[in-house]
Amino acid sequence: MENSIVKLRGYKDGLHLIITPKVDLVEVETAVKELLERMNQPLSGTSIHIDLTTSPLTSDDMKELETYLTENYDLVVSGVNILDENDESPILAAPATHSIAPNLQADDQPDFGQAKIVRQTIRSGQTTSCLTGSVLIYGDVNPGGEVVASGDIIVLGALRGNAHAGAHGKLSSVIIAMELVPLQLQIGTYVNRPPLGQKSRGYPEIARVGAEDVIIVEEFIKFN
Amino acid sequence: MGKVIVITSGKGGVGKTTSTANLGTALAMISKKVVIIDADVGLRNLDVVMGLESRVVYTSMDVIEKRCELEKALVKDRRVEDLFLLAASQRNRKDDIKPEQMLDICERLKEIYDFVLVDSPAGIEQGFHNAAAGAEEAIIITTPDVSAIRDADRIIGLLQNQNIEPINLILNRLSPTLVKKGNMISKNDVLDILNIDLLGIVPEDPGVIASTNRGVPLVHNDGSPGADAYMRIARRMTGQRIPIPEMRDDNFFSNILKWFSRNK
Ligand SMILES: Nc1ncnc2c1ncn2[C@@H]1O[C@H](COP(=O)(O)OP(=O)(O)OP(=O)(O)O)[C@@H](O)[C@H]1O
Ligand SMILES: [Mg+2]
Repeated sequence: MENSIVKLRGYKDGLHLIITPKVDLVEVETAVKELLERMNQPLSGTSIHIDLTTSPLTSDDMKELETYLTENYDLVVSGVNILDENDESPILAAPATHSIAPNLQADDQPDFGQAKIVRQTIRSGQTTSCLTGSVLIYGDVNPGGEVVASGDIIVLGALRGNAHAGAHGKLSSVIIAMELVPLQLQIGTYVNRPPLGQKSRGYPEIARVGAEDVIIVEEFIKFN
Repeated sequence: MGKVIVITSGKGGVGKTTSTANLGTALAMISKKVVIIDADVGLRNLDVVMGLESRVVYTSMDVIEKRCELEKALVKDRRVEDLFLLAASQRNRKDDIKPEQMLDICERLKEIYDFVLVDSPAGIEQGFHNAAAGAEEAIIITTPDVSAIRDADRIIGLLQNQNIEPINLILNRLSPTLVKKGNMISKNDVLDILNIDLLGIVPEDPGVIASTNRGVPLVHNDGSPGADAYMRIARRMTGQRIPIPEMRDDNFFSNILKWFSRNK
């Protein structure tokens, strides 16, 4: 059920529409039409991610493609990933404002809409992402590992790598870890790099966007 | 049926070849039948470390390309019974071997031998994948430095994706004096991050370089700290319960400090 220009793949975090490089919008739309119309299963209402390799379409093209998918096939585009050229697995690039489906404001996105639970440690070179809600990790995130969520990120272990919460711009998203010693934190478009060599304080901590538009980190006692 | 174990690290120069040579020899010394495979095609040196360089006639490439039988390509050790080396080709390149070919060789060897140890090249490219292709278990070698640990972590992720299990750790070149001074990452720091079982600790030992240069694995040199460490690891690999001696000084002072600050 695929042709050379677009592929449809099911990953752990949902359906992905993978677009090959070096094609223009018209070609993509034709290929999508062909692909979707050949499928017996109706996809109406399903949310999908769009994965692009290098030389992606312009952001205007992307908007048009989203509209096309929504209007013609009733699909909800829940995220856009920029892939490594040789990589089949989705890696999330910078948050794309145009990736929020029409009529859906950032803050309407459900927090735990489709939370993703990961029962392992995210090691160096590994990425886990959930673009439909929050991520809960029963393990550590090691240096060189990365977690991305459109909602919150909760690590029931040590967060030593990179974490990006509110990847679609939801600034009320938080990052909580039993040990918060990250290389880099990001909430929406705000970035925080703790000083190098910082040691764990020995209690759970929470990172959130504070009043001054900077990411603040404090002891996590309970949510209020 | 024997076990195929890949010995790997990600980062280069942390002691994969040294560990393969010494563990292979140590296992054979406690009466196991062992083959060590050099999977570092193009940069072979397991034969040199074993002092077998002049005896290598055929390599794994000759077996794959059917120029000789597998049994004939195995080089018998000069000192220990039941220890054999399958050398890597010096001329070929890492991607000249395919994972299926490596798997086939390992499958055939483990019918006969108790342990098949595969010395992996550094890196995460084809050479590493070939070395791991026939393995059901892995030993990760790391030294106590940040970049070696980062690479080890990366490798562990890749091995777990291939369902290689168990994955055990050897912490090499730990220096008790440096840990004590707080200048070295401690055993517990490493285990905290990598979160796999510790198979053993090999201390920094100048005897390693001397033995490499003579082509006589350190374990023949009874009584050196490195030799003792490798002998204990080999016994653990055969299922014996041998405790890992706590390196004196390791965390001793920092634990006392923690204790004081907690009681303030
Ligand atoms: N415990 C030790 N004490 C002192 N020197 C050591 C120790 N372990 C290894 N070395 C030295 O470190 C160097 C690299 O060791 P070795 O060749 O075993 O590493 P490797 O991981 O196989 O390297 P490569 O990635 O190049 O294959 C050698 O010179 C060796 O003698
Ligand atoms: Mg080597």
